[in-house]
Amino acid sequence: MKKSLSFFMMLVLVIGMLAACGPQREAQPENTDKDNGTGENQAEEPKPEKLVVWEDTDKGVALKPAIESFEKEYGIKVEFKELGMADKIRDQLRLDGPAGNAPDVVTLPHDQIGQVVTEGLLQEIKVDDSVLDTFTESSISAQMYDGKLYGLPKATETPVFIYNKALMEKAPETMDELYTQAKELTTGGQYGFLALFDNFYFAHGPIAGMGGYVFNEKDGALDREDVGLNNEGAVEGAEFIQKWYSEGLFPKGIIGESGGAAMDGLFNEGKAASVMNGPWALQGMKDAGIDVGVSVMPKLSNGEPVKTFMGVKGWNVTAFTKNPYWATKLVEHITNEENAKIRFETTQEIPPVKSLIEDPVIADNEAAKAVAEQSQYAVPMPNIPEMAEVWGPMASALQTIATGKAEPKAALDDAVKTIKTNIETNHPAK
Amino acid sequence: MDTKKMTSNHGRNAALLSILPGFGQFYNKQFVKGAIFLILTVSFFAAFYDTLNWGFWGLFTLGEIPVLDHSIFLLIDGIIALIVTALGLIIYAFNIYDAYNNGKKRDLGLELNSVREQYHNLLDNGFPYLMISPGFFLLVFVVIFPILFVVLLAFTNYDLYHSPPAKLVDWVGIQNFIDIFKLDLWRKTFFGVMGWTIVWTFVATTLQVALGIFLAILVNQKDLKGKAIVRTIFILPWAVPSFISILIFSGMFNETFGVVNKTILDAIGIGAVPWMTEENWTRLALIFIQSWLGFPFIFAMTTGVLQSIPDELYEAATVDGASILQKFTKITLPLVLFATAPIIITQYTFNFNNFNVIFLFNGGGPAIPGQNAGGSDILISWIYKLTMTSAQYGKAAAVTMILSLIVITVALWQFRRTKSFQEEDLM
Repeated sequence: MKKSLSFFMMLVLVIGMLAACGPQREAQPENTDKDNGTGENQAEEPKPEKLVVWEDTDKGVALKPAIESFEKEYGIKVEFKELGMADKIRDQLRLDGPAGNAPDVVTLPHDQIGQVVTEGLLQEIKVDDSVLDTFTESSISAQMYDGKLYGLPKATETPVFIYNKALMEKAPETMDELYTQAKELTTGGQYGFLALFDNFYFAHGPIAGMGGYVFNEKDGALDREDVGLNNEGAVEGAEFIQKWYSEGLFPKGIIGESGGAAMDGLFNEGKAASVMNGPWALQGMKDAGIDVGVSVMPKLSNGEPVKTFMGVKGWNVTAFTKNPYWATKLVEHITNEENAKIRFETTQEIPPVKSLIEDPVIADNEAAKAVAEQSQYAVPMPNIPEMAEVWGPMASALQTIATGKAEPKAALDDAVKTIKTNIETNHPAK
Repeated sequence: MDTKKMTSNHGRNAALLSILPGFGQFYNKQFVKGAIFLILTVSFFAAFYDTLNWGFWGLFTLGEIPVLDHSIFLLIDGIIALIVTALGLIIYAFNIYDAYNNGKKRDLGLELNSVREQYHNLLDNGFPYLMISPGFFLLVFVVIFPILFVVLLAFTNYDLYHSPPAKLVDWVGIQNFIDIFKLDLWRKTFFGVMGWTIVWTFVATTLQVALGIFLAILVNQKDLKGKAIVRTIFILPWAVPSFISILIFSGMFNETFGVVNKTILDAIGIGAVPWMTEENWTRLALIFIQSWLGFPFIFAMTTGVLQSIPDELYEAATVDGASILQKFTKITLPLVLFATAPIIITQYTFNFNNFNVIFLFNGGGPAIPGQNAGGSDILISWIYKLTMTSAQYGKAAAVTMILSLIVITVALWQFRRTKSFQEEDLM
């Protein structure tokens, strides 16, 4: 009896405590008026003492001069911190944002924009058309989500054709040409051309070049209902991919998770005459003592260029800043032609600034020129969150295609079905 | 109880009075102790009022205004409030218990402890508690706190589209569990992954344990020369960090360039085996690798146990005319298993959640069409993929709960059946 009594008393205490609580918050702060856009209250927005920027690791050298000139011009102090762009900045922003330590400006890869905007970490920016015009169109579209602009592009990268000058005199013009060359060069542990076509990031090039697409564009936004990865063009692209594997031009050992390391190894040992890879691989190749040549991807048999995926790193204004107007000004400043040029010179990142692409600094640099040229044909990776559902099923499909376990058409149909189911399960319609 | 004989009801009165902490002690005329309880109570509420108020409100509502309220932070505040409440209740229960006990003493006509005696009592009896309390508090926040977080998360709809600060997270009851068993894609994946997880756990662990014990007994033979060297070599796989071994194995099993296909299998005339692209071959390779990684530990342990088995047992057996096999099954094996059973069980639970080898060898691959997870994905690596690629935090937490439930049940059941937990000693 004692026990039940004391238990009852405890219950009373707990209930009493629960009843005491409730939303007794102090007068709720005015609901954030920053959602209303920055356009109207620019004039009123006072100059802040300082702005905080999060830059990618080891890229601060490119930011410093831009910050100095900004400080001189506007008298606003700018501080920056280096953080890994791939996921550190996003993860840190999730924690620091709501806690009140958020930076004003961050740099993010554009394919995270959809996700991050959905979570409410970024805000829309308003920029004059004259500013937008200085960037390539595709790089600006990469910074758009749901018809709104969320940042300005800082640099682009896309896979290009990289060849070993000792084994291949010059880059072929067309894929057919490359195919015949590869047939001759591929003997006894030597390979003519290698690419990670079981990875959708690289496979997108031929698939899109033949007419496939991930999501179709509708009214300035990507339409998640319209997946074009099993249409006629996509199947042709997959057949093209399968040919390389089934004829033994690509070894089975470059399929799967560790395929990239295997391919790099072959190229760096001089066993592969050419590869499709991103500019980030160049340094390792040069270090391995290979005399590399870089060019755009050879044209496909239908005369279309290989439409590689493009990644755009951008500068974005966070949802937590109290100074959206000045943060936007800062973004405009660090992406302008002068600072973009400094960036290229210090970090070799290629800014999608139109005037700069013709500038001798880039035009005379073989690798940069190839990347810039390939970028014109490239398609920005879709930045809507639904894209997360595409990678896995497409990797499965491409792997079964590469190993010859499935016919391209059947594998792609299956993948698209999975993608659509996954989108329905994981991404409820808005 | 012999309450009937008692004339007074001090025990009950004191317990009832101490519903207001301290008053039961006052009733027992233990004023200092009563005052301490009273002050403790008052300061508890003074110090934690905000924490509790805000925490419980957050725990129940998970926030009301998007952007301003951050549901996940509120959930965390709520858990802290829960823990603080639990600690408060423990002190409160002790207060009632103490008042009742002392009242009882008075009923029985015993003398109560004086303040000095109470102080000494506290020091003597309380010392062990004092010593374990820092570790205990650390454990509460490092272990209990995350467990509560996952458990609560499993009942929310936390995913990309319900992510703070833009949106609020809501309680959805057992919807996540219903979805896992009801939606086609989820169900198919869950049972596929579950099936392989169980096969993996049993086959890989049993193999590594059997191999370890077998080799230990072999090396422990009396007339074996160079035991030290053999032992050292067998323990070497353990000395290399496992992730390095796994990565090297991953290269060795490469279908075109790996040494397994290219040299070993080629030499005995077997064609290339699709280790990385055919799910059953990947699974086989994984079981081999885990045996390699896991046996040295069992080997070392068994060697230790074998050396502690007295020779007299074997001599007596020989005198009684036992065969070698009988000696093994009646003496060696029972003694080894008796001593190592708890650790062998932990090997099973360890492999059930062995993320490293699965993830590093083939990333859970190869891919299987029409399924959410790869062919060699076990539950834990699938959960990782759910969180990292699909941002399905709620669902991932639900799967985690199912997984923990399985591990806990199996572990408890096995531990209870193990002899070493039932009897004090065998020999």
